[in-house]
Amino acid sequence: MGKEAREARERMKAQREAERERERKKRIATIATTVVVAAGAIGAGWWFAAQSSEPEQATTALAPVTRAADGTIVMAKPGVEKPVVDVYEDFQCPACKSLEETSAATLKNLAAEGRAKVVFHTVTIFGKETGVLHANSVRAAAAARCVPAGPAWVTFHDKLFEEQPAEGSEGFAIDDLIAWGEDAGVTDPDFAACVRSQQHAAAYLADSDKELAAAKLEHTPTVKLNGTELVNEPFNPSALRQAVLDAAK
Amino acid sequence: MTVVTSHMSGPTRSRAALPWVTTVSRLVLAAVLIIAGWGKIGAPVLSVEAVKAYQLLPESVATAVGYGLPILEIVVGILLVVGLLTRVAGIVSALLMLAFVIGIASAWARGLRIDCGCFGGGGQLAAGESPTYLIDILRDFGLFALGVIIAWFPPGRLALDSVLGLTPGRESDEYDDDPESDDELGEGKDD
Repeated sequence: MGKEAREARERMKAQREAERERERKKRIATIATTVVVAAGAIGAGWWFAAQSSEPEQATTALAPVTRAADGTIVMAKPGVEKPVVDVYEDFQCPACKSLEETSAATLKNLAAEGRAKVVFHTVTIFGKETGVLHANSVRAAAAARCVPAGPAWVTFHDKLFEEQPAEGSEGFAIDDLIAWGEDAGVTDPDFAACVRSQQHAAAYLADSDKELAAAKLEHTPTVKLNGTELVNEPFNPSALRQAVLDAAK
Repeated sequence: MTVVTSHMSGPTRSRAALPWVTTVSRLVLAAVLIIAGWGKIGAPVLSVEAVKAYQLLPESVATAVGYGLPILEIVVGILLVVGLLTRVAGIVSALLMLAFVIGIASAWARGLRIDCGCFGGGGQLAAGESPTYLIDILRDFGLFALGVIIAWFPPGRLALDSVLGLTPGRESDEYDDDPESDDELGEGKDD
């Protein structure tokens, strides 16, 4: 084989090497860019998720709280009839606790600002076959009926979610319920007896079943704005506020 | 000049169809991941709640996972669709599916009554609903298998990895269309 041919071959080899090196660098740059963009997108999404779940600060004064004939609790400034925010919740339901932690302050603020009429519908979504879940739920809800409508009811309601028993364990003991009611400012001397005898349990369950059927509830919490279910907004305080403000237009 | 015969041997034919198997796996897995991520991303609080319902992770970790999982699923899903960093995306999705299988199996074993929360919602079940653990596990195991296929035989056809030359040593020549490709399409199912 001639010298020239060998040199030519070596030149080609060197060229191929250089080519391969260029390719390699380009590949690394492309991979690095992709990884940075993907990681950035995940980071931004994570931050946005955390940000959008940040609750509002509750302003000091609550709107007047009253009890309707059907047992629902209405929180609204006098004369505010719409938009109506219906909140269906079960004291034993963990997602309802999440709703409370995320958006209770927004609902209180909207009512206090006269921008919405908030209606709390307490229901027991857990059927009898769920045993302790059902029992906890009914015991707490029946006790809440012994609390007169007013700021004390809201405080008691908040306390129930705060003290929600872990899934499957017994909680909402009668003595605790009585203590929490008294802490919330209930002064009615019949309160303790009312809770202890579960005086309102039967009436409450009847109302709860009626509510579940009438509102065609599939899950709790369900939040409706003027009768239309809000799916994601209730768990995103600023989106919830915006939806309510838009409904008032 | 070589004459290309119309009869390919079995192994050759299946090797020719393999890139398409990877592509289909990528698209199926990507569709599930994107739908699942999208269903959860609107309400991060519920996503966190669904993770907590498994009672497997400490609270702070569960919160971080709840916030991060939906976006992770969507990003990995997009990478799979376009075929970018295919092997890594395949490995990540296989690991995710494996984690889901373990999580669901563990919830089942502990007798929890939860919705898997796979596509949003999740948490405890309402009265009258029963868990669908077996279906969830079978589905996620199938998806895990797709992830393994993708990680094993990346990037398949129609992948940016090939276009951008991210598949060293195997780009162009191996996946180049050959005169047999029409034949493959017709016969691929027989394998």
